[in-house]
Amino acid sequence: MIRLEAVGTMVRLRYKLMWAKTRSRNGKIALFIAGYTLLVLVMILLGAGGLGAGVLAIRSGKAELAAAAVLGGLYVQALLGTIMLGFGLNAVFADVELRRYPLNQWERRVSRHLIGIIDPFWLLILILQLGLAAGLYVLGDFNLLFILAAVLLLFVSNYLLARVVSGAIERLVSMKSGSALLMVLVMCLALLPGTLIPVISKDPNALRTLIGVLRWTPPFGAAAAMTRSGTAALTGLAVICAWLIGLAVILGYLENLAPRSSGGQSTTLTWESPFERAGALFGNNAPLVAFWLRFYARNNRFRALYALSIPLVSFFTFNFRHGFVKKASAMADDPERLFIAALGAIFMVGFFGSSRMAVNQFGYVGGSFRRFFLLPTDPAASLRTGSYACVFVGSLLIPVALLLWLVFGGPFDARKLIMLLGSAFTGLFFLHGAGLWVSLYGPRKGKYSAAMGNDMSLMGNLVVIFGMLGALIAPQVLFKTFPAAVSPQNWWLALPFAAVAIGFYTVSLRATTTLLPTKREELLAVVEGRVQSK
Amino acid sequence: MNPQADAIRVTNLMKKYGQTLAVESLSLNVPAGSMFGFLGPNGSGKSTTIGCLTGLLDPTAGSVEILGKPFTADSADLKRRMGVMPETLGLFDPLYAHEFLAFVGRMFGLDEAVTRQRVTELLAALELTDTSKTLSEYSTGMRKRVAFAAAVIHKPDVLFLDEPFESIDPAGVALMKQWLRRFTEHGRTVFITSHVLETVERLCTEVAIVTKPGKLVWQGDITVLANEGAIEYQGREFRALEPLFLHLTGERYADLNWL
Repeated sequence: MIRLEAVGTMVRLRYKLMWAKTRSRNGKIALFIAGYTLLVLVMILLGAGGLGAGVLAIRSGKAELAAAAVLGGLYVQALLGTIMLGFGLNAVFADVELRRYPLNQWERRVSRHLIGIIDPFWLLILILQLGLAAGLYVLGDFNLLFILAAVLLLFVSNYLLARVVSGAIERLVSMKSGSALLMVLVMCLALLPGTLIPVISKDPNALRTLIGVLRWTPPFGAAAAMTRSGTAALTGLAVICAWLIGLAVILGYLENLAPRSSGGQSTTLTWESPFERAGALFGNNAPLVAFWLRFYARNNRFRALYALSIPLVSFFTFNFRHGFVKKASAMADDPERLFIAALGAIFMVGFFGSSRMAVNQFGYVGGSFRRFFLLPTDPAASLRTGSYACVFVGSLLIPVALLLWLVFGGPFDARKLIMLLGSAFTGLFFLHGAGLWVSLYGPRKGKYSAAMGNDMSLMGNLVVIFGMLGALIAPQVLFKTFPAAVSPQNWWLALPFAAVAIGFYTVSLRATTTLLPTKREELLAVVEGRVQSK
Repeated sequence: MNPQADAIRVTNLMKKYGQTLAVESLSLNVPAGSMFGFLGPNGSGKSTTIGCLTGLLDPTAGSVEILGKPFTADSADLKRRMGVMPETLGLFDPLYAHEFLAFVGRMFGLDEAVTRQRVTELLAALELTDTSKTLSEYSTGMRKRVAFAAAVIHKPDVLFLDEPFESIDPAGVALMKQWLRRFTEHGRTVFITSHVLETVERLCTEVAIVTKPGKLVWQGDITVLANEGAIEYQGREFRALEPLFLHLTGERYADLNWL
């Protein structure tokens, strides 16, 4: 029995807490900007996105396939957005927090997921889907009831799938060898399109088989329900409902799993560890660097993102190999394009894994932040060593990425290797340099134990998202507008970029460590949760 | 008073958070080798004062001297001679107790052999021998013990303890008191805040009482109380610390009929 009134009270409390953040002048300005941006986004997405797709679907004469492709794309994008950037996964209330209130198990569960699904991220996904629905309804002769039911069910299944995948990842990375297993799984998934596409392009039957399989997925089920009638439409809805039930059962199972304990009692003290050995490379800073390395390595989010770094770079390299050029054009087959895509993707390899920590150095330390100032060292040592540790662990992935390029990147060309190395170093130092500034001016209280979710500040999100997008787009733009800049003939151009990035990092490190003592009380208030995050 | 004999000297200390005054012109001297109790009601600026005395916060005005030397947040040499147990404990939750204590020992310049020996001894003495749990999995009392161990591992000359006995079981408290007494017998100083006035009365030799906003209202020797004596203040005699504290900070009474 679920008391909807109790659930409603919790949902209202979530919005009261959100509203409380806007009580300050800055909060009101932020609310206005966020509201305005959301409104504009809604209009753009509804008009140019989903609605446009709906119109195209009708005009193409292949409404079901076009709708399935659009819905499938949205479905996957929403999933990637939640997994890679953590959007739409901030639970607000954990189950343990809701246990303080007189709510039963089901009321707690419904409250949490209701609050989760009305996150702005999911609302944007819903708007895109509704846009497509509007396009299909206005121009086509389809059943409005089926269209709306399909959109809503698809939307809920998308949310549930994101929760299931993130829950599974969370569970996986909390296991000892889970990160490695995750990396293998994601590598397989990243390489799947590259394996399937040549097969499909050679054998038309393979494409038909693939579509036949995909018909049993929620986006294709929704497309059938939206564009067909009678039994076919009902079958489409039944497919989504079956997925909903399955996902709800799996999610319930994952949520009911007991947290992993560290095992039985032990009295063995271990003094030597790889963290101390790696920390020793940093001379006087050894204990602090070792501390940070240990702090990162025990963080599930760090381990998940670190494990995803190489698969992500492989995925972007492969998927951006066509750049902005239509696949049919002669330029798309240019073998150099794989290199251009790799040049952009490798930029983030040394940053992505440590990105959450790098842009919020003290956010996950919480109240322990004050411990740094009790230590007999200069107060800025904590920031400096934290950044050293981030750069160090990030740099370890660069040789791995280069090795993969040597294996899969075609004929050996030392110039390309130097350019890739230059790009990786540029990204490593430039983004970590930016992270230092964000750690100081855009801190946010984070939850160390959470493996998923986006708890970065606005500035942190800007650095991570625009850093990644910029890295992917810049080489493509240069290739189109000024190809000499990314040509192996001018391989040496990568070196000044790397030198400038190292210079930026050095200057940022000096400046931020000088500023830290003056900012520490402000930082302390934010990371301890006494002041609202920016 | 001989300035050489003061382990801590605070002169006109003021701390403001924006427009809010947390500590108002506080001056006090803590004799070396004393067990000094620093008392005050909630929100009276005790933790802010400790923050200023340990380098966590920068005073808005005034000065602090520790062991005869001016103290600021950058005084690394002085910090090496100080031990601090903050109210919020400041533990790094993902670490195991021995890892955390070893980290603190190394940071305070102990060599590896001494660090390992002291960590092992402290963990055994404080009954923190289960190394399968990280600090986040420890109970509040166990976390307090770890924070206490971190404050003393480098054998400091001045020890700051913010509410050290809360949440610790009686056996643990007795052990800590025994250590603290031995600590001061060797001429070292303990600066302690607590709301448990009975403990302060039995443990401390001198006490300072502050009211909002960090204003000193009384400082004096309380050893007379342990000898069945009395403290005289404004013509009244106080035979225990609690009535004196309530007299200075204001008694409150509110009746809730429904309770």
